[in-house]
Amino acid sequence: MRAILILTLKDLRRRLADPAGLLLNLAIPLVMAGVMYLAFGGHDKDKDAAPVLRILVLDLDQGPVARAITGSSSNPEAARRLDMKVVQDREEGLRRLREEEFAALLVLPQGFSKALLEGRQVELELLKNPAQSVMPIVAQQITEVLSLYLSIGSRVVGGDGERIRLLFEGEGWADAAGIAALVTSLSDRVINLRRLLLPPLIEVEKTSAGKEAGGFNLIAWLFPGMVMMGLLFTSVSQMGDLLRESQNGTLRRQLTAPLGAGQVVMAKVLSVALLGAIAFCLLVAAGRFGFGVHWGDPAPLAAAGALVVLAATGFAALLFSLVRTERQGDALGGILTMLMSLLGGTFFPIEALPGWLQDLSKLTLSRWGHGALRILANGEGWRAVSGHLAVLAGIALVSTTLGVAFLRRRHLRGAL
Amino acid sequence: MAANDSQGPPLRVGEVRFAYGKTRAVDGVSFEVAAGEIFGLLGPNGAGKTTTISMISGLLTPESGQVLIFGREASGASGAARARMGVVPQEVALYDELSAAENLRFWGQLYGLRGAALQDAVRKALGLVGLIDRQNEKVGKLSGGLKRRLNLAVGLVHGPALLLLDEPTVGIDPQARLHILEVVRAQAKAGCAVLYTSHYLEEAEQICDRLAIVDHGRVLASGTVAELRRLVGEGPVVQLRGEVDDDRLKALAGRCPGVGLLSSSDGTASFSARDAAACSGLVRELFQAGLKIEDLRIQEPNLQSLFLKLTGRELRD
Repeated sequence: MRAILILTLKDLRRRLADPAGLLLNLAIPLVMAGVMYLAFGGHDKDKDAAPVLRILVLDLDQGPVARAITGSSSNPEAARRLDMKVVQDREEGLRRLREEEFAALLVLPQGFSKALLEGRQVELELLKNPAQSVMPIVAQQITEVLSLYLSIGSRVVGGDGERIRLLFEGEGWADAAGIAALVTSLSDRVINLRRLLLPPLIEVEKTSAGKEAGGFNLIAWLFPGMVMMGLLFTSVSQMGDLLRESQNGTLRRQLTAPLGAGQVVMAKVLSVALLGAIAFCLLVAAGRFGFGVHWGDPAPLAAAGALVVLAATGFAALLFSLVRTERQGDALGGILTMLMSLLGGTFFPIEALPGWLQDLSKLTLSRWGHGALRILANGEGWRAVSGHLAVLAGIALVSTTLGVAFLRRRHLRGAL
Repeated sequence: MAANDSQGPPLRVGEVRFAYGKTRAVDGVSFEVAAGEIFGLLGPNGAGKTTTISMISGLLTPESGQVLIFGREASGASGAARARMGVVPQEVALYDELSAAENLRFWGQLYGLRGAALQDAVRKALGLVGLIDRQNEKVGKLSGGLKRRLNLAVGLVHGPALLLLDEPTVGIDPQARLHILEVVRAQAKAGCAVLYTSHYLEEAEQICDRLAIVDHGRVLASGTVAELRRLVGEGPVVQLRGEVDDDRLKALAGRCPGVGLLSSSDGTASFSARDAAACSGLVRELFQAGLKIEDLRIQEPNLQSLFLKLTGRELRD
């Protein structure tokens, strides 16, 4: 046992004396997690924020409806979504459309308010910015919705439109009884309309995504997969040290000392497991403090960590018991890690795969590893994760036992 | 050192054989190394020296024959035999990321040293190879010569009674080589049995008390340097290079009394002469025969000429 400890400590000293390799293995999944986090909007604290629609309005009408439209951006709620600027003439509008990245220029024609209140057909002109792709379409759709609402409003007002327009222009206010009758009439029409419109048959319920709402948390889903990838990269890379030692002769030299081949192999497996544990702790800490992942209860997390580390170590031991050179091991290890990550659902939900691939994914270490960590990151505990832990324990036991046995046999045959 | 507390000689190799697949690497090699003796295994690359050392150090198990270290089987599971043995492999088997002292501490620990005894052993080993001042430097930053010295120190750190050195001076400068040879001599003088493999003839002649010349896995001759020299004769050796053919050279050697053709191939040939008179006669005949000779050397008999005589080729082939 003392010899195993000495050999293990030697490997830890070597890695800590030159930690660049270990950190590089962790950097790959962290960078991937970071990029995906940013790509899916993880950087934005207000996840509901939509881009602001910038629109120019040329008011050739100057009537009450046109003023209501141009004044709408003064509403605080609308101002969050809409940046509306009034231009004096068409030339200014076209120039600013080109130079200031506005999405569109809306032209309210002369007589627009009067025609609308009198129930006559009227046309709105919308000039879209050809240099933009999405926002001009948004502007068009908003204009169409606005047209619809205005048309409905015009129909509701009916023959009182002219009267209302005059009131907006300051005329007819002396006729208090007439105004009261107008208000009562409009009120009745709106109430009648309510019977048709309310309550709506379809309602859209809007909830905020995130753990507070019990909804989907992208990074809590994504990061456990990155932890597994980092762990597998680390284990494969560190187990490759066995063949590096074989190449530079230190492994053979160890066997000229009073040691057994089993001790040498066990020590290497133990050192890989310890380095894997260090990598796991660093990745978990990076998830917590860099990406805000809540790992839940520390006890099941520690158990899951120990088992994924052992399973990854066993996988690496088994891999390097089968390959001839370090280069082969690194290449095959990288391919298998990526394959297991893809099949295991690191980058997308397993449910997106065809049925037979979903079955195949059950054979991957990644699925059970990040599956366990995802359960914990989702705030669940022992009960929910126990099945995954049992599978991981089985994988760890079988792969480590076989890996150590095969490596020892290779070592004894002088193949290491 | 524990050279005298054994049930047998430090090293006894008896008729060992080993093959890599169909290639026979060692074919019935036997020799013995006594305490305080430096025994050399001399042969070209691929002669079976490293395979022999691997069997002695327990890395390979002989197909047949026996390796006894102080009377114990080298490959014994207890490792007791290996604990008394120091091995310096041909490659520099060190950890570049660790310092010289850390390397020595690690290897010392593997041989059971700890505490003050370990510190003393490390200091002593560093002193032996002249690396006290460089002990805290990472091995990766040391020169090739210094790495070779440290490689030797690792084999000495636990104070072995039997030291196996597999070509310990390959690829280093003369000064570092001299230093290593001095350390090896000092170990032998202190009672350590040393098995030294090399393909450098001068080095082997210089350092070894006894030698075995090996080729194709067999011992071709063994004895002290003086005994081996006598095998090739007391007279000089004539070596030539030029446009020559075997038949003419054989005929020419037959005409000269006291002259034998040692080897002839690829435009080079070697003759042994019984004495100076025979040598003069050979040279006269060579020129009278009208051979186009580009180079001609007359040397005292040495291991090189013995190797030529035994194998028909140069040792550095």
